[in-house]
Amino acid sequence: MNQPVSQKLFFWTLVVISIITLSAPTLVVLGASLTSGNIIVFPPDGLSLKWYEALVEKQELQDAFIRSIWVAIICVFISLPTGTLAGIALTKYRLRKGALIQTYLLLPFTIPLIGSGIGLMLVFGEVGVLGSLWPVGVATAVINLPFMIWAVSSSATGLDPDLELAAQNCGAGPVQTFFYVTLPSVMPGIITGSLLMFILSLNEFLVSLLLVDARIVTLPVQVYNSIRSIITPDLAAVSVVFIAVAMLAIAVLDKLVGLEIFLKSK
Amino acid sequence: MNRIPAVSASNVCLQFGDVHAVKNVCFELEEGRFLTVLGPSGSGKTTLLRLIAGFQQPNKGEIFIKGQTVREVAPNKRSIGMVFQRLALFPHMTAAENVAFPLKMRRFDVRMIPDRVKKYLHLVRLEGLGGRRINELSGGQQQRVAIARALVFEPDLLLLDEPLAALDRKLREEMQLEFRRIQKELGVTTINVTHDQREALVVSDQIIVMDHGEIQQDATPLEIYRSPSNPFVANFVGVTNLFHGMLESLEGQKVAIRISQQRLIGTLKSEKLTLNQGVSVKAAVRAEQVRLFRGQSENRDCEVYFEGRVTDVIFEGERILYELSVAALSDALIRIIHHDQQDFSTFELGEVVFVGWKSRDMHVFVVD
Ligand SMILES: Nc1ncnc2c1ncn2[C@@H]1O[C@H](COP(=O)(O)OP(=O)(O)OP(=O)(O)O)[C@@H](O)[C@H]1O
Ligand SMILES: [Mg+2]
Repeated sequence: MNQPVSQKLFFWTLVVISIITLSAPTLVVLGASLTSGNIIVFPPDGLSLKWYEALVEKQELQDAFIRSIWVAIICVFISLPTGTLAGIALTKYRLRKGALIQTYLLLPFTIPLIGSGIGLMLVFGEVGVLGSLWPVGVATAVINLPFMIWAVSSSATGLDPDLELAAQNCGAGPVQTFFYVTLPSVMPGIITGSLLMFILSLNEFLVSLLLVDARIVTLPVQVYNSIRSIITPDLAAVSVVFIAVAMLAIAVLDKLVGLEIFLKSK
Repeated sequence: MNRIPAVSASNVCLQFGDVHAVKNVCFELEEGRFLTVLGPSGSGKTTLLRLIAGFQQPNKGEIFIKGQTVREVAPNKRSIGMVFQRLALFPHMTAAENVAFPLKMRRFDVRMIPDRVKKYLHLVRLEGLGGRRINELSGGQQQRVAIARALVFEPDLLLLDEPLAALDRKLREEMQLEFRRIQKELGVTTINVTHDQREALVVSDQIIVMDHGEIQQDATPLEIYRSPSNPFVANFVGVTNLFHGMLESLEGQKVAIRISQQRLIGTLKSEKLTLNQGVSVKAAVRAEQVRLFRGQSENRDCEVYFEGRVTDVIFEGERILYELSVAALSDALIRIIHHDQQDFSTFELGEVVFVGWKSRDMHVFVVD
């Protein structure tokens, strides 16, 4: 408690610098979105909400936003059951070649996104489904699945194997054991993983870029397209809305499992 | 006709690779009795319980519950309650939900579940704490929840896998008596596992001593203590002095052995097959059966005695533990437990005194 002043000063300087660095992009984009001028600048040129109002009329931005949400939902829908089962299986059964499988599951991290994007584009093109929205959801699920598996298995490693035996001893069959004991025990991991998947999928840009066409652009792609013509402050406004959605997801996470669990999970 | 035992095992074996975790285990347990499986770490106690609970299948042999083999019966179909070594309470449920879980899974009438849960929480003295989460309960309270969960569906058999090992000594002794009380109250057949010999002696009707997966002795606590059937049991239960020697002659149960040039008389405890002179033997004398006295005139009834020097005095409260070095037995160290009596006479460190015992208290085993 009796730290020397210099040490305290050093500590707080570090904290302030980190906070500024981490939040600078957000603050800049938030500021820019509030401008009353017609070009995107920071600091803003007067304050107004007119660019948020403008969003209401920008049908294509809204559509893209809703499409992005759909993609994220499809992604969670696919990755939740697969990632959960894979995560539990990987920790529970000391699979022979378990290490190999784990490495294999990490591959999506090591392959540059552009590589997997092109691969997926070829696959979906071959099957003839390019041009619908759901393949984008599937693609983001495939690419980000390791995050889901990682979240669930970190929860499952802490699980006492005797718990499942205890459930059997209490009279629970394999299915009941899974639903009453195994699943609730890894629930924090499932919630964390799902929200992570939702946000990652919502933000996915590169792979979406390769898989969408003009009729089904997702929001990040739409913003990118707009930047290439004229940069107006409504792009900043839509980014802020986007950030707000992500923050909302984090708030939900905090409500459901407590951020401590999220931060503690290895 | 004999009564059918509540649980029995015949020649049960389980191997992990080349480790015999359980080897040729045979026993019978009568209904309503309390059996303790006692043995050092790694002797196969947990494995034996897991075999009975059905989490593992024996490589060989059969386990019977009420005379029926359970080989084909899945663990969740056996009427067995178990308290695990690390309790394995469900952390996402409250104490009452934990206790209600077996009733739900075993499809008890939903209307009677709350009453039944209440009754068992009362039995383990946890009334009013049912709404707490597991991590809001103390260690001793968690033990009680685990016991209530194992008993609530009134199983034919209760298995306890050292659930007390992690508790401090006072709480452990309290809980031992608690187990005993509940077991007597309900009359449930119980198999308890421990490596604490005191616990085994205090709570059991029957004790099985195990080592390296094999049963060393199966008897009542009194028999285990008074007449251990081999040197391992003699050494594992109680404080025992063990000597190595050679057989000299045999007359009925009375046996003469030679321990470092001394000829001593003891009582033979091994089966008398064909015993030749010169076979090696182990002799065991309990620490509390060894006497200490200052002059030969004080010797009351010790047929065997030597001079020895006190090398250690350990005060343990109600008793004192002495250690003596006896020159005549090649400086063997002998431990003596001296209980506090009215005329509590103490011996000093370094003092030379007589140490002796009755020949009927020296048990001789043939070593094979
Ligand atoms: N799943 C397993 N795989 C391999 N070996 C095992 C397994 N389970 C137990 N063993 C071995 O079987 C032997 C008996 O183990 P067990 O757990 O039954 O001992 P224990 O008497 O319960 O010991 P403790 O008092 O330490 O709990 C040990 O040598 C152990 O290493
Ligand atoms: Mg054990």
